[in-house]
Amino acid sequence: MESETFEPKIVAFLCNWCSYAGADLAGTSRLYYPANVRAIRVMCSGRVDPAMMIRPFIDGADGVLVLGCHFGDCHYLTGNYQTDQRVRIVWEVLRQVGVDPGRLHLDWVSAAEGARFAEIVEEFCNRMRHMGPLQASLPSGPLPYDLPLALAIAAEIVEGERFRWLLGRLRELREQGSVYGERIDAARLEQLVRDVIAEEYVRAGVQVLAAREPLSVKDMASKLGLAARDVLKQVAYLKKRGVLDIYDVRQQSPRYQSTTRIGVDDLG
Amino acid sequence: MGVAHGEVKAEAPHMGGINEAGCGRGPRIGVYVCHCGLNIAATVDVARVRDAVAGLPGVVVARDNKYTCSEVGQKTIADDIKNLNLDRVVIASCSPRLHERTFRELMARSGLNPFLLEMANIREQCSWVHGHDREAATRKAVALTRAAIARAALLEPLERNVGSVTKSAMVIGGGVAGISAALYLANMGVKTYLVEREPSIGGHMAMLDKTFPTLDCSLCILSPKMVEVRENSNIELLSYTEVRKVEGQVGSFKVELLRKPRYIDEAKCVACGLCAEKCPSKAPDEFNRGYSERKAIYIPFPQAIPASYVIDPNYCRYFTRGGKCRVCEKICERGAVDFSQREEIVTLDVGAIVIATGFEPYDASRKTQYGYGRFPNVITSLDFERIICADGPTHGKLKRPSDWEIPRRIAFIQCVGSRDEHETDGAGKYCSRVCCMITAKQAFMVKEKYPDAEVYVYHTDMRTAGKGFEEFYQRGRSEGIVFVRGKPGEIVENPEDHSLRVVAEDADSGCILDLTFDMVVLAIGLRPPGGLVELAQKLNVSRSADGFLLEGHPKLRPAETSIEGIYLAGCAQFPKDIPDSVAQAGCAAAAAAGVLASDRIEMDPLNPVVDEELCIGCRLCEKLCPYGGIKVEKTDKGFKARVIELACKGCGVCGAACSARAIKMRHYSDEQIYAQTAALLEVG
Repeated sequence: MESETFEPKIVAFLCNWCSYAGADLAGTSRLYYPANVRAIRVMCSGRVDPAMMIRPFIDGADGVLVLGCHFGDCHYLTGNYQTDQRVRIVWEVLRQVGVDPGRLHLDWVSAAEGARFAEIVEEFCNRMRHMGPLQASLPSGPLPYDLPLALAIAAEIVEGERFRWLLGRLRELREQGSVYGERIDAARLEQLVRDVIAEEYVRAGVQVLAAREPLSVKDMASKLGLAARDVLKQVAYLKKRGVLDIYDVRQQSPRYQSTTRIGVDDLG
Repeated sequence: MGVAHGEVKAEAPHMGGINEAGCGRGPRIGVYVCHCGLNIAATVDVARVRDAVAGLPGVVVARDNKYTCSEVGQKTIADDIKNLNLDRVVIASCSPRLHERTFRELMARSGLNPFLLEMANIREQCSWVHGHDREAATRKAVALTRAAIARAALLEPLERNVGSVTKSAMVIGGGVAGISAALYLANMGVKTYLVEREPSIGGHMAMLDKTFPTLDCSLCILSPKMVEVRENSNIELLSYTEVRKVEGQVGSFKVELLRKPRYIDEAKCVACGLCAEKCPSKAPDEFNRGYSERKAIYIPFPQAIPASYVIDPNYCRYFTRGGKCRVCEKICERGAVDFSQREEIVTLDVGAIVIATGFEPYDASRKTQYGYGRFPNVITSLDFERIICADGPTHGKLKRPSDWEIPRRIAFIQCVGSRDEHETDGAGKYCSRVCCMITAKQAFMVKEKYPDAEVYVYHTDMRTAGKGFEEFYQRGRSEGIVFVRGKPGEIVENPEDHSLRVVAEDADSGCILDLTFDMVVLAIGLRPPGGLVELAQKLNVSRSADGFLLEGHPKLRPAETSIEGIYLAGCAQFPKDIPDSVAQAGCAAAAAAGVLASDRIEMDPLNPVVDEELCIGCRLCEKLCPYGGIKVEKTDKGFKARVIELACKGCGVCGAACSARAIKMRHYSDEQIYAQTAALLEVG
């Protein structure tokens, strides 16, 4: 019953030159579409940081749209190719933390495509209505944790230097190969991306949890749905880097707490 | 501190526990919600939006205006800035693409930094698209306005970057629009490069016999203009030249051109024609639409500018038979033939660009039911122009191609490739605007030459909107031209005498007309020219759904593009007739000259700022920037990224990619965008 009347909240990032102009054209053409979508104007879809794609979910959005210029039409030549890479990798991050990647949609709308803009919004809005509220959905998979934690971890993953470095190099790696001239085929590259995200998930999970409250390795592992030894490896590494410290020792197992307040600690 | 606000309600700002002192350090925001007459107010409850934001932190005053952009509306804001000591302004109205500039100028006039303005688009992206749901539209308007306020609170004053202006212009395309634009610019004292990809300027107008509705000889009125182009010392004509690459921005574009080899030294050739007389190779004459032949060394038409021959390497024996022949080289007394010419790259610096690339006639053979290309006596309206022209293949006698006899019964079919839902490539749904009058003119010319000829025009409806057009059309009717409202389904040819059977329903009388003609003329539509897609990408200008180039605003900026410094003239924007093309050329030239008249160009300062403490010199930004706008350089603190302000376009791709979070985008900072996101989602 509730899903029938559910009105999703949708944030759309629109680039100034194509999709925002397309949205304006939908207006001048009086093409009606659902009022659920609310736009943020950026100069280029390439401005949309992976963190910006996740932040609206934390703030209560049920869906996020990223709309840019068609390939070849980007006002800044290649910005939309970057956007394409980013959305794809953020889908992987969402999948990793158990959020349906279908809630983040990427599409291309030219300044002349008012009707296309309205159609995309309508379609996405219907899809979100069908999926239901994000806040009510539990992270999929065997993970025992809650949605705010999942999103906080996702946000921390995309802040990671390793993740951002890989993302920034992804197009180059795909098209030109590594600095050693080694061509990496698409399947291997995708596996590499998944592996990095899986590792970063452990790192981010530990950091987000330790920023909330002092926890033992065992507690962290159970909250993250991971094996204790994988968590321990990260804890040891983060401790070495000075990011974590022992808070106290209970029943012979130390509880760890983060030494720095990371950007997402107030979001949990 | 009470303020009287007349009939518009405004909340007293400093209520509750907030006092002057506490507010003094925070932002002081004025919010103005626009009715836009009924454009917004009919759908959005403007008073509710105003009240919903009036109490928000930092909002000193919230008002609604009937028309915020009006003199009165602007004065209200200016007064508030002064009297209430505002430091930021939020306007909830139309799209910032329409009025951001207006209000930024108002800010500057009122002594505020223009970048402390934020607009909420509650018209194009709210009231106009949610007219069916007032409640939802109002809630959305509140959310958009709150997001604008949240962002405004975090805006920072910015100083515009200043660029220099190269005092020259480039016009791309040498048809009547491009010629006119170049002459207008040159006569205003602007050094103008006219670039034409064909060997001569003149465009399609040069191919026409007469123009409507005055029946002026087309070339007689065009060729003096062409000569003027040659004679004008401010114009440099680059014919047989294509645009390869365009970089830079308004005031300082860098253009790379490809000059194709003519194999003739333009400066030496006097167009005596001896070479062509002796040339042994023939080729179809494209200027005469293939109805006659020219030589491999040729001049496109007698009045061509530059008045220089050109060698077509596809037919010239020197090229097709490996260095043999060279008859033209031997015969030319002036030594103008130069087989050693090669493609040449030329670079130009210009401050403004006018695109006048014209159109391409619709390929009538796509309409297989009309048999163009299969039936010799089915011709297009452009073929007709050449066949009836004194310089054409029949020397001005109207003859039909199958036997070069005079046709006695002629039919015209309208809207071939226009107003056609079956054209699936997106184009072709529009009315090409000129074909009705072209047919009215051509039918009239037939009657003029052969008064007893029978002339039928099959049309969708005759569109004669233009000065003197309707009168001309009526004159044609009175001369006995039969206008039939109805489109024939197909043309069937009698293979023996090549006559053409046309069956159509006359929608006015309901009768089926089954008639046989000696010749049928297809009134073909105007299409975006080949290469326009690539050119648009090089120049970064948008195209509309019909495939032509998109104007800056359909009403108020018809000759501009969304890119500053790039303008439109003629059919590049949309099909139009000669006077409209010339008028738009004047408009484009005036706009371009306006830019070139100033010594400095102000550019939005959207460049990023690099925090050297955080930057690890990883070079991601450098790799991703397509403009070389950010470079990693060695400093005493190690390798650090540095922004090259004039090369940077402010897209933000580097900021979104920085692995160390060292790059902060100005005017679109993370904090500003996050504040917007949060505020958008606060309201249900």
